Amino acid sequence: MRDGRRRPLSFYLLAGFFGLFVLFLYGPTSTIVLLSFQGPSGGLTFPMNGVSLHWFGNLFERQMVGDFAGSLQRSMLLGIVTMLVTVAVSFAAGLAFRKRFRGATLVFYLAIASLIVPSILISLGIGLLFRVLEWDPAWYSSAFGAHLSWTLPFGLLIMFAVFNRFSPSYEEAARDLGASPWQTIRHVVLPIVLPSLIGVGLFGFTLSYDEFARSLYTSGTFNTLPLEIYGMTTNVTTPVLYALGTVTTGVSFLVIALSLAAFVVIRRRRARFGSDAGRGV
Amino acid sequence: MSEKKTAGPGRRTMLKGTAALAGTALGSGAIGGFPTIWGQTTKNITLRQFGTGVSNINEIADKCKADLGITLQMTALDSDAVVQRAVTQPNSYDIADIEYWMVKKVFPANVLQAMDVKKIKYFDKIVPIFTTGKLKPDSVVAQGTAPSTVGFVEGAGSTKFAKGQTGWFTMIPTIYNADTLGIRPDLVGRKIDSWKDMLDPKFKGKTSILNIPSIGIMDAAMICESAGIVKYGDKGNMTKAEIDKTIDFLIKTKKEGQFRAFWKTFDESVNLMASGEVIIQSMWSPAVTAVRSKGVPCIYQPLKEGYRAWGGGLGLAKHLSGDKLAAAYDYINWYMSGWVGAFLNRQGYYSAVLETAKANMSEDEWGYWMEGKPAKGEIKSPKGVVMEKPGAVRDGGSFYDRMGAVSCWNAVMDEDRYMVQKWNSFIAA
Amino acid sequence: MSVRSPNWVPYLQVAPLSLVFLVFLVVPILTIVVVSFFDYDSTRLLPDFVLTNYEELLSSSITWRTYGQTLEFALITWICTLLIGFTVAYFLAFHVRSTAWQTVLFLVCTIPFWTSNIIRMISWIPFLGRNGVLNTALQGAGVIDRPLEFLLFSDFAVVLAYVHLYTLFMVVPIFNSMMRIDRSLIEAAHDAGASGRQILWNVIIPLCKPGIAIGSIFVVTIVMGDFVTVRLMSGGQSASVGLMMINAMSLLQYPAAAANAVVLLILVLMTVALMIRVVDIRREL
Repeated sequence: MRDGRRRPLSFYLLAGFFGLFVLFLYGPTSTIVLLSFQGPSGGLTFPMNGVSLHWFGNLFERQMVGDFAGSLQRSMLLGIVTMLVTVAVSFAAGLAFRKRFRGATLVFYLAIASLIVPSILISLGIGLLFRVLEWDPAWYSSAFGAHLSWTLPFGLLIMFAVFNRFSPSYEEAARDLGASPWQTIRHVVLPIVLPSLIGVGLFGFTLSYDEFARSLYTSGTFNTLPLEIYGMTTNVTTPVLYALGTVTTGVSFLVIALSLAAFVVIRRRRARFGSDAGRGV
Repeated sequence: MSEKKTAGPGRRTMLKGTAALAGTALGSGAIGGFPTIWGQTTKNITLRQFGTGVSNINEIADKCKADLGITLQMTALDSDAVVQRAVTQPNSYDIADIEYWMVKKVFPANVLQAMDVKKIKYFDKIVPIFTTGKLKPDSVVAQGTAPSTVGFVEGAGSTKFAKGQTGWFTMIPTIYNADTLGIRPDLVGRKIDSWKDMLDPKFKGKTSILNIPSIGIMDAAMICESAGIVKYGDKGNMTKAEIDKTIDFLIKTKKEGQFRAFWKTFDESVNLMASGEVIIQSMWSPAVTAVRSKGVPCIYQPLKEGYRAWGGGLGLAKHLSGDKLAAAYDYINWYMSGWVGAFLNRQGYYSAVLETAKANMSEDEWGYWMEGKPAKGEIKSPKGVVMEKPGAVRDGGSFYDRMGAVSCWNAVMDEDRYMVQKWNSFIAA
Repeated sequence: MSVRSPNWVPYLQVAPLSLVFLVFLVVPILTIVVVSFFDYDSTRLLPDFVLTNYEELLSSSITWRTYGQTLEFALITWICTLLIGFTVAYFLAFHVRSTAWQTVLFLVCTIPFWTSNIIRMISWIPFLGRNGVLNTALQGAGVIDRPLEFLLFSDFAVVLAYVHLYTLFMVVPIFNSMMRIDRSLIEAAHDAGASGRQILWNVIIPLCKPGIAIGSIFVVTIVMGDFVTVRLMSGGQSASVGLMMINAMSLLQYPAAAANAVVLLILVLMTVALMIRVVDIRREL
């Protein structure tokens, strides 16, 4: 914000609007946070019943119904695998799309279709498909595929955005210096697009971790976390769900703060020592 | 599924890796051809049970593990998903914890196996509602999908419901109750004694019914019948004309703004009541208890037209055989042996074998929950939370008063397809 | 493109992606289309070729009303998210001048996204309820004397939740478009004597069209396929196409649901086709 000019009035109006927008985003979240600090007889609605940390402790105990731990584990595992696969597959596809190949337009439109077809249809379709084939759906097979159909288009679009701004001269230089195509990718392309790949990964994880509709008919015997939360709402009337929300939000803050810190540190280091591309970081 | 193949070492290692990934579900033969990793005794058998949150309770799984050594993996879903899972993914579960109206849909799909009553230890002690259909010899079978009408099939492999009792039982009844209206006595400000009180203009925008078609339509029928709007031949099996009249009336009532919301899950009903959004609504007994436990007054009001009843039970998946089947029979026999019955009774539900449950409850508990007597001491929930003070009497009185006054059961009708279309039109109106 | 490598390499690189789309998008959608012509009884699918599912669906006034309602939700949500999203993006792109601040403010907007959608939705209920935070506050301040009933379990609540959940999908692509606008264009317009409003209207908005189109595609398609938000926020009082499908499925009427799915799919694809004419997505990223 070190800018010599005086800010126009519109800046303050817009800043105010932005502030309201943030308030609007956080309004319900703050409701959750408040309600999760209720006493042991608390419910899901106002008025509040006492103040305590009871429900945060309760979060780590076993509920009467449902299984936070198991479903959280499944969602985490699924999220991580989805994340890794999304990063690898989008990166490879992004590289492919820099060249011309037959069917490129078709694949691209498939990606767009995958984004716009309502999730519930994908869920229904995969469920029906498994049913017709008499296969058993499971969270690590059919649900995994359903999640990929949601995360990959995002990954691909981000890769497009990255490679649209990517100058091929670096690779030419590398090739002129005698690097093999693989070395070029490994030591030139990858380091440059790494931040975006991390973005794709984070995106992939979040989308998968939160996905409800696409897991609905595809998860088989065991629930993922969103399904478990939904199943638990059929019997759990305590603020423990809010405690989960509060903890999740807290953890997100932490993760984002750490990423930012890491980012700043890396930038400073790079500024001091020059790029570390090619050192195999 | 044959599960007795031997595997080479390479395959064994691979299997361990997969098992770590896929959890222990593999042993059930969910993936064909894999050998099981555990020994073949009941001690180490895992049964996968799914159902609504009502009875998929973790404490039951713990107790089962302690008593029998059987590991129960429970999955809770909402009632829509339960029916779908039961029919479309028959290999994803071993035990189906479902309701009787669902049986009418699920059993003909040939995904469950009938049980041999000779293997059911307490069969003769099951409350007769589920066998003969009559609570007492002189009772009349209530309308709707009464459990006895879908309780038996004609033979071992049959999917045809039998008219009377046979040796093949579709489901072990585990949990049931008589439902009525829950009210906020502090806010309704008058005596409530009939289903038609839902229509009182004073309660405009403060009432609610269920949005599960098979159950909601019965609520609506109770209301319409008591208000004299529709005369039914059989509420539990309406004609198209009766369905039309019922739904048209609901739409009119909805447009007048009588309803605040339509709830689908237990927690929604509790929240609506506890937050004061709604002061009179169709409710489940434990939901009333949950509202009270938050310090909000709430009464489960018996009504003169009687109750709408529901029942749930355990069905065995078609694919169960050998040791797993034996374990499943052990499990259901254990389920009826008293501890679980007492556990459910203490939440305000009813268990299917009263005698064994009684043996697991104190005299005072039994008197309060089952006999309609005033509590002598404090009445506690299974978790040990005090629910009622001494002197309290259960709403609706004794077991026989409540289950003897059932007017209809949650139902699946012959005109089900039509009813659901109409129900959708009501929600969309 | 100038990277020399054998011709088969791009095919290898794009194979995994294509495979996922084939197995988990194309085949399932084809399954839905096939099943929509099946017959069914109370529990089974009966492979057949009948048009009854479509007849029942399209001949019913409920279907049309529900589609109307869903489109109405989509339209209102689209207008709200567009206005809010554009304003927020404009602020971030033209008034926040340092990248670091832009990043921080962006992250502030994304954090609520990390909490499960379902929890975020049910958290509106205590906020908007009859005795909720908002009504209590307004009554306390003396603005109203009786609680506002329309805040919850109403169409208002549904749209509010949509806007809350999906505005960010609008902000990101519009912001992206704005950042690509050459600032010298704006300077030039300014020097030529254009007012701020004229610049906005004749320079910025036309150049943001692609971003607006991409954001709109997201918001509109998500809302059209939604079923959870409508059910939770309207208290079961409103319907949507997704809910109709869920209801049919819960009663095992898969072919009916599939027919509905096909109709919805056609509608969504048509809507998107209209929007996509404005923008070449690949070039715009």
